[in-house]
Amino acid sequence: METTNTVQSSPAWGTLLGKIGFNPAGILCVFLLMALPFIPPFNQEYLLRWLIYAAFIATLSVGFDFTSGYINIVNFGYAAVAGYGGYTSALLAVNLNISPWIGIFIGGANAAVLGLIIGMISLRLRGIFAACLSWFFGLALMGLATKLVWLTRGPLGLRTPRMFETESNIPFYYLIIVLLILTYVICKMVVNSKMGLAFKAIGQNMDAARTSGINPVFYRVFNFTLSCALAGILGGFYGHYYGILTPEVMHTTKTVEVLAVAYIGGRGSLWGGAVVAFPFIFLMEIIRSTLSHLPGLNLVIYALMLILVMIYYPGGFSHFFDVHIRQSKNKILRILTGNA
Amino acid sequence: MIVLETQNLTKQFGGLTAVNAVSMTINQGDIVGLIGPNGAGKTTFVNAISGLNPPTSGKVTFFGEDTTGLTPEQMCKKGLSRTFQIPSPFPKMTAIESVMTASIFGNAPGVVKDPVQHSREMLDFVEFPMAEDVLSEQLNTVQLKRLDLARALASHPKLLFMDEMASGLSEGELSDIMRILDKISRKGISILMIEHIMQLIMAVCNRLLCIQFGTKIAEGPTQEVANDPRVTKAYLGSAD
Repeated sequence: METTNTVQSSPAWGTLLGKIGFNPAGILCVFLLMALPFIPPFNQEYLLRWLIYAAFIATLSVGFDFTSGYINIVNFGYAAVAGYGGYTSALLAVNLNISPWIGIFIGGANAAVLGLIIGMISLRLRGIFAACLSWFFGLALMGLATKLVWLTRGPLGLRTPRMFETESNIPFYYLIIVLLILTYVICKMVVNSKMGLAFKAIGQNMDAARTSGINPVFYRVFNFTLSCALAGILGGFYGHYYGILTPEVMHTTKTVEVLAVAYIGGRGSLWGGAVVAFPFIFLMEIIRSTLSHLPGLNLVIYALMLILVMIYYPGGFSHFFDVHIRQSKNKILRILTGNA
Repeated sequence: MIVLETQNLTKQFGGLTAVNAVSMTINQGDIVGLIGPNGAGKTTFVNAISGLNPPTSGKVTFFGEDTTGLTPEQMCKKGLSRTFQIPSPFPKMTAIESVMTASIFGNAPGVVKDPVQHSREMLDFVEFPMAEDVLSEQLNTVQLKRLDLARALASHPKLLFMDEMASGLSEGELSDIMRILDKISRKGISILMIEHIMQLIMAVCNRLLCIQFGTKIAEGPTQEVANDPRVTKAYLGSAD
């Protein structure tokens, strides 16, 4: 829902900040995230783990929205691509003793190649068909990770070295927050450039885009490559944070988790999913821990929330924010959201 | 000067021949009307030239260059623009963003210095009746057609295909379109328009091409084709 984010209106509040997609409210959110590990009750280790997981899903949802919200192709294999990057990095660390800090970028590059391939193969397909193709890719990858036991140890899980040799979760938390911000800034800068216009044009009307001179091949493949590269790096983080990688991480339900967050956050906003992920994941974790005798209930709630949002508020949280907060009559709210 | 020439252009969908060996030419400055009953293959013919649906056989020559089977984006850069029968907007984009797509991506680098300004001029040129930051999905058909036209013009076409630009317009809107058509033509842009409204065709077209069942049945000056018995028969059916 890019109702207010038109290309021609240069951001009034701080050109530089505007360029990387931040307004004062966004900056406040970043500060809040930075301070959160010191604010009770979030300073407890188990809540910190939730926070890290939420930030992980938030970051994935930014990369996911970069594809689904712009070129309008739902990459159902997104979690599998992340897992693919994670396994790359983990295997490098286990077998060749390569530092996770280098490994996650090799994982990202490897995932980018995969994204390039998926992008190329799905070129002739539109909408749901391209989504299915990416899904099959994801299923195949997960199948490989499960069956290639000699390589990945299959469902037993691959033990990976952690990125920080400490019991504390705090360094991991700050690392994922940095990754979240970087991912958001990279995606935002790309969509704020001419490329963003091409992405949207291709996603919204392929024929009109082509007759307007846009070459869909380049932009679609580029989009897939970048979003998969980001997923690959995040997968690496995941593996080196939990210290164990199982094929479970590549499961479609993981993608659906990301998808739900991205859609509830607002398609095409990039930031919506990142913001919504935190309360959403906390809610899910609370449900999971308090209603542990009803396994799977959280998935039912995902589905319900997603359906409700899709039917009654397809614009998601970012649309709500644009209409009711960004353009509110309250002056303070408008200054905070960079719309003064 | 010949802008566009097709030789035996044929488009088959499986066993169905939608366009059958149609040869035609468009000269510089022409406003050619492409007429024919519903399902005659007019849009398919236009799609085959503009690249959305490449021809099965035959040849398309655009300014002396063989452009058969080029993609729409390549044709756009060569100077062929088109509008769509069902107005084809980018629903979640504002009007000016929609035009900017063509203004940025449809021109050679450096041609348009300021895409925003240029898109604004295009919207003014087609007398777009709404604010430039209105979302395309909020527009009605008439407004969408104007927007589609502005988008098509933003890539500096030398030849413009208009697919039923005037269908469903009121009398007043029709005269607006005629005025805009005249402005386009005076910019030196040749036009091929698919149209059903004879009033418009007789007023603006200097030549007509009539297709029936994918086959060309007449081509020539407007009056001549309009009075051609084969054309009348195609539209009204024969007496027997």
